[in-house]
Amino acid sequence: MPREESSKATRRSTRSSSSVTVENAEPNESHQPTVDDLTFGDESITVDAVLSNFPGRRSQILDLIRLVGPLDCPTLPLMIYGSASTGKTSVVLQVLRHLSRPFVYSSCRTCYSPRILFESILNQLFLHRKCSSNGYSSAKRCDKPSDFVNLLREALGNVIESLESGSETSRPDKSDGKPMGKMVYLIFDNVDLIRDWDKGSMILQFLFSLYDVLKMPQLGIILISGLPPDVYYSNMGYTDPLPLYFPEYSEEDLRQIFLRNQVNRKLYSAFLDVVLKPFCRVTRRVEELSTTFSSLFRKYCEPLDDLGISPNEDMKRRLYSHLKPLIAPCLNEIFRVSSHPHDGVTRGERRQKASYGSENREELETLDFHMSTSAKYLLIAAFLASRNPATLDASMFDSTGGMDNRKRKRKASEKSMEKKEMAEQEAVMKGPGSFPLERLLAIFQCIASVGDSSFGEEEEEEDEDPTGYDKENNNLMSDILLQVSSLCDAHFLIKSGSCPLEGSIRYRSMVSEDLALKAARSLSFPLAKYLYRR
Amino acid sequence: MGKEIIPAAEKSLNLIRGRLCDPSYVFRPLSASSDSNYSKLKFIVSTSITEGCNNSILLLGPRGSGKAAVLDLVVGDLLEEFPDSVSLIRLNGLLHSDDNCAFKEIARQLCMEHHLLFSKMASLDENSQFIVAMLRECGLAHKTIIFVLDEFDMFAQGKQRLLYSLLDAMQSVTSQAVVIGLSSRLDADQLLEKRVRSRFSHRKILFLPPSREEFDGLLEHLLSLPADSSFPNGYVSRFNEKIKNITSDTRFKDILRTLFNANSTVNSLLKFIFRAVSLMNLESGLLSLENFKAALSSMQRQPKLEAVRDCSILELYLLVCMRRLEVKEQSSYKIISVMKEYKTIHDSFQTSDYYAQNVCLRAFEHLRERQVICYTENRGQSQTGEYRPMKLLISASELHQGMRSHACCPAILLKLLDH
Repeated sequence: MPREESSKATRRSTRSSSSVTVENAEPNESHQPTVDDLTFGDESITVDAVLSNFPGRRSQILDLIRLVGPLDCPTLPLMIYGSASTGKTSVVLQVLRHLSRPFVYSSCRTCYSPRILFESILNQLFLHRKCSSNGYSSAKRCDKPSDFVNLLREALGNVIESLESGSETSRPDKSDGKPMGKMVYLIFDNVDLIRDWDKGSMILQFLFSLYDVLKMPQLGIILISGLPPDVYYSNMGYTDPLPLYFPEYSEEDLRQIFLRNQVNRKLYSAFLDVVLKPFCRVTRRVEELSTTFSSLFRKYCEPLDDLGISPNEDMKRRLYSHLKPLIAPCLNEIFRVSSHPHDGVTRGERRQKASYGSENREELETLDFHMSTSAKYLLIAAFLASRNPATLDASMFDSTGGMDNRKRKRKASEKSMEKKEMAEQEAVMKGPGSFPLERLLAIFQCIASVGDSSFGEEEEEEDEDPTGYDKENNNLMSDILLQVSSLCDAHFLIKSGSCPLEGSIRYRSMVSEDLALKAARSLSFPLAKYLYRR
Repeated sequence: MGKEIIPAAEKSLNLIRGRLCDPSYVFRPLSASSDSNYSKLKFIVSTSITEGCNNSILLLGPRGSGKAAVLDLVVGDLLEEFPDSVSLIRLNGLLHSDDNCAFKEIARQLCMEHHLLFSKMASLDENSQFIVAMLRECGLAHKTIIFVLDEFDMFAQGKQRLLYSLLDAMQSVTSQAVVIGLSSRLDADQLLEKRVRSRFSHRKILFLPPSREEFDGLLEHLLSLPADSSFPNGYVSRFNEKIKNITSDTRFKDILRTLFNANSTVNSLLKFIFRAVSLMNLESGLLSLENFKAALSSMQRQPKLEAVRDCSILELYLLVCMRRLEVKEQSSYKIISVMKEYKTIHDSFQTSDYYAQNVCLRAFEHLRERQVICYTENRGQSQTGEYRPMKLLISASELHQGMRSHACCPAILLKLLDH
């Protein structure tokens, strides 16, 4: 992009000598935004184009067009709500593009504090662009709602004046992307995120009553929210906006959505016949289904030599039987984000080596991130400390660190076994227990020395001198407290409040049994022997 | 959509929607009678202006009952009657509840009115001294300042410094000021501190929702087009005729009664008419009964039902498991117990929908996002997600209804829900 290159050129030149004036300025500095930039920018599109772009949203699009109304029609605030990836934002923007109305869009996800939100809206309305000449600052500084109302009134007045003077000149071609009408629409996206802000309820209250406070009929407000309007009910009450609901897609809509932009529609539609129904039982969200479908479609097309053919019944049956055994495990992995790169080549190779199922098992058995040895031991120690009651530590770990095998239980009767099972299940249900730091370090020292002794034996065979082995041992112990704090940051351990009698901090392990097993397996540590079973 | 849209239809749509968005137009007929709130308020304020005395009033009423609109009408009339002796200061409790902001805003508006220079750097004390000085000057010049405090209950939070200084200045300095507070809390005057309350004259005007007859009259007032030359000749009479036909229809009266029983404020009527009018057939330019029926059904939303209808089948399974746990008298349960119940259902009924733990965890997240379930305690994260107790946010009947209207709910789930 030319903009990037020229900015790189200016940076390089300023780095070489500080006194050189910037000669080739960024080309967009000379382009001051005008009122025309308040529209979508591209050419406006017809209603039919909008309807065909969004299958399954026909009634919502027509509703929205009717609620926004014809040119210069005053409107009450609207709220569009629905779950994620149902097309709310894109439908609103495309409808406003079709109607060629000037709008100001700001999302409460990117503008994560009131000041950024207010300033972003004001920058767009004052037609101010942040660039190096003004030091990337906003047009006006504004972090309180009272200032925002005054400045917004001023800015809207300016914009509406220029819109009115612009609309006096008649334009022959109405679809050239220039703004039409004298109304400005403010779009607030992701309004539900404001609830988590500092003083979020006040800001929400302010947003809902913005229209009444401003009393400007040339302003239209559209709020887009991921949560239904009843979560915004508060003690203070407010005049709620007109709601417009975007339901989740049905199966037919999903089929139409996935068939768009496909090269070979017949083949893909045969594929969808196979996979759509079972996967829709788990989730109907487009973003989750599309990632699974793309990898499954690749597998589906493997037996085919030519991807452009349209399959007949026989071929469809063949492809179905090829794909069928993969569907069930894939359903269980539908939400798993694989940390292996999605490389078609390596996938193909691996497929030849092992079937999909066993490859999955390999992924399951190893940790897919790196941890140092001492961190792994610490993790296992924390897991054991949370699982086992503290009173049994002495018998579990004797002085040499080995497992105490002295206990031999006699064969219990069935009823007591059942009771023990119930008690064990209840203990599991209660969740991981908390432990003080000293207990964690004690267990860690025990099991690390067990591991070290086996580790040390191998090392001795490779004729390592004993001092080297001692250094290894010391290295494991030295930065334990650092490891504890980094485990806390990674949320494997949490601080769970201090004991009122002792005053020391207690920790709790948040590691699932799977992860602990994986870590133990990578260290060849017999975890199952140390887990307490009543 | 390719048919002819008559321009008169668009114009009438614009006109009616403009009326709906303008509160002073809406409340004008309600103010016509002689003992209405409008005349009471006007009487109080105009006597304080003419007699040159201080006064304070509270306007109380639920949201959307026209307090601000009536006040605007009164103020508009007074500004016409006494053009030089009234100046208006407006404050809003949402914006200016902080004392700093409030004093700055009053000083700014005073400066704008009297064409003085306003400095943004002035401190709180300087602003308050300025305000007191202005009050004294205006009092000596026989000019009344009207302070309008919207969301009065927000000013009554905290130390009430603004209220105290205003009311105190009114009593001690030679000033002519009227303080009008608007609030949707009917007990707003109970929130005042003792010293503020003693300086406050306890005048209250109550704004009640309109009666059924006023409702009908309002409808008529909003929907009838004026017979002026900007519309084609026959169109206005056809439009008004159609409106009369619709309003005298018994089905329409039923619709209106349902609306009135649910929510009798003027606000909900405005939204209802807005929706109905937006559905107007632009080719004929006339309203019809179907528009009003559709508007009513869009106002009767059931968000929890919609949420249940949006769920996938796995999520429905989890909801049914939670409901069964609730029936077994566990008021809050953890994900592990729900998963155990899920497993027992799968074992006993051999359903085909049995998925792994991580899939179910993500399904729980989806349910939480839709606000169908939630965590019972919000304090910190002392447990992992799997061990935190959660509970259902929908009742059994809503769940039943949602599942019955679900597109593809398996029959076994309904059976499981019943016992």
